[in-house]
Amino acid sequence: MNHFTISDLSVAYQTVQVLDRISLQVAPGEILALIGPNGAGKSTLVRAVSGVVKIKQGIVSYGGCDMTQLSPPERARILGVVPQAQPVGGAFTVEQTVLLGRTAYMNWLGQASPADLEAVHWAMEKTRIEHLAQRRNAELSGGEQQRVLLARALAQKTAVLLLDEPTNHLDLRHQVNFLSLVKDLAQQENLAVMMALHDLNQVSMYADRVALLVDGCLLALGSPAEVLTEKNLHTAYQTRVQILSDIDGYPPLILPRRA
Amino acid sequence: MLTRSGEQAAVSIFLLIVACSRLHANKARTPTSVPFDPNLEEGLMESWHENRARKPPPRSRRFFIIVKFIRSRPFFVNTAALLFALIFSIALGAVYISPNNVLRILVEQIPGLDILPDWPDAFATIILRVRLPHSVLIMITGAALAGSGAAYQGLFRNPLADPYVIGVASGAGLGAVAAMALHWPENLLGYYWIPVGAFIGALLTILVVYSLARVGGLVPLTTLILAGVAVGTFTSSLTSFLMLNSDDRIHRALSFLLGGGTMSGWQPVLASLPYMALGVILLILCGHRLNVLQFGEEQAQQLGVSVERTKILIIVTASLTTAVAVSFSGVIGFIGLIVPHLVRMIWGADYRRLIPLSILGGSTALLLADVLARIVLAPQILPVGIVTALAGTPFFLWILRRAKSEVFW
Repeated sequence: MNHFTISDLSVAYQTVQVLDRISLQVAPGEILALIGPNGAGKSTLVRAVSGVVKIKQGIVSYGGCDMTQLSPPERARILGVVPQAQPVGGAFTVEQTVLLGRTAYMNWLGQASPADLEAVHWAMEKTRIEHLAQRRNAELSGGEQQRVLLARALAQKTAVLLLDEPTNHLDLRHQVNFLSLVKDLAQQENLAVMMALHDLNQVSMYADRVALLVDGCLLALGSPAEVLTEKNLHTAYQTRVQILSDIDGYPPLILPRRA
Repeated sequence: MLTRSGEQAAVSIFLLIVACSRLHANKARTPTSVPFDPNLEEGLMESWHENRARKPPPRSRRFFIIVKFIRSRPFFVNTAALLFALIFSIALGAVYISPNNVLRILVEQIPGLDILPDWPDAFATIILRVRLPHSVLIMITGAALAGSGAAYQGLFRNPLADPYVIGVASGAGLGAVAAMALHWPENLLGYYWIPVGAFIGALLTILVVYSLARVGGLVPLTTLILAGVAVGTFTSSLTSFLMLNSDDRIHRALSFLLGGGTMSGWQPVLASLPYMALGVILLILCGHRLNVLQFGEEQAQQLGVSVERTKILIIVTASLTTAVAVSFSGVIGFIGLIVPHLVRMIWGADYRRLIPLSILGGSTALLLADVLARIVLAPQILPVGIVTALAGTPFFLWILRRAKSEVFW
């Protein structure tokens, strides 16, 4: 099995160490949740792994192949990123946007091959946005936009999928639908998924494993039950929480206490 | 009579453009509601409800068909418009030569086709020696300005970028003037050096403007225009300084160039063709990359584009095409702003289409502006830059106003 592996990864902005020797592994079909307080380095980890931020030391590899040495198109065929929804590309239609996911496979003229179009339609079908194909991005709701970005990453046909706080700005229904969709896709398509999340209860419900980042260091790594403890969360967030673990049909739930 | 029908043509073209751009908007919006009037009788209320439910709003059928045709066949429409503008531009002048004769004189030049010449010899000379090279140069200039304008707008993700507004045209003008001051073109080879000078000037200017205007990873509207105006003014004054210190022959040629006049004869056309061909090929290659860049540099990198390399390619390409335009036609503003905008409004934001359509549309637009420049105060010929500036400034302000709530951007 090809695992997605980050070993000994460090990133520094000028002299400030932002990530300090992070090591973790994601298996195919598995969802790893990245949690931690604001500024802990979750987004930086996503950006470093996807080649946007320069890595100071360490290796990012997939199936034994060192990804730090790859060119952007080569990397984009292995690893796709779903960014936080931003108001960009508003004039493009949904179909054009999803087609951009095929950039790494296209020639210099950017012509779409039949395989490209097939991948685009497959991705739009999976994310249930086919009916929006000719709509412009500026006309979509937040939930729809996030699904378009997911479809674009799926169209890349990668083995690894990174998501950076995808449920920000979504309402309850869209949060649940979106995360369930990601969970199904991870299992059906055998994707190794790494997802930065803020909501700890979502982590508990959807993640197979959890990595807790604090100040650029990995504080804990393991199953939700192992990582989401009162002690760990107090260390990370400086907030007292209570874990409710005996509610039928639910994984352990995390409730903050009043300060 | 002629001006009268010209007026009508202008009005209907404007209406068509507005209608074409509205077609997008109508799809999204709910049908326009009729204001409610409580005094309406029962029967009228029913028709009020019917009116509310009907979509899209009623529109003249023939007009709708024309609009649909324009929107669905962008390349045909643009090529046809360009050909008409070209014939029109050759036909008009101090001596009017009918479009029919223009066509036949041009066709007669194709070897193997013999048409019995029944026109005065002078006509052929006027067309082949004077008007055709002038029109072709205007075409090349318009195409280069609009193509580079589209590329700059895509690169900066900014609807107001235009080679003139961001100062690059002035920088290219300085480069061209410096090249001419150093070595006045005596033969065709001499002409080839002018775009090289203009290219260096354009490239240096854009690098300065870019580094001044960049805030974080973005190039905001305000800083881009401020930096463009500052650098553009600086390079223009350097150009004026060069002119004051040059001999009389150059002086006359240069002041003509600054107002956006064109050089005459076939030599400038021949000199700009190779650069233009290279520029057009590179611009078309940029199309898909510009699409990806619209989603931000970070996402572009994650989608598999080498962002830094791509930005350099786009800057070099756009500066090259700007240089071609400025070298032999002087600094002409706003074509690079208006044309890509109209194309985007009518045919959408996909740069793979936007760039070639802007190239075609830019040729047409500048040909028409040039015709206007020649007939408004005939026999006096205005610099075409004055016409584009008069038409372009209101357009610029209009974009500036609606830039906040961009639908098409």
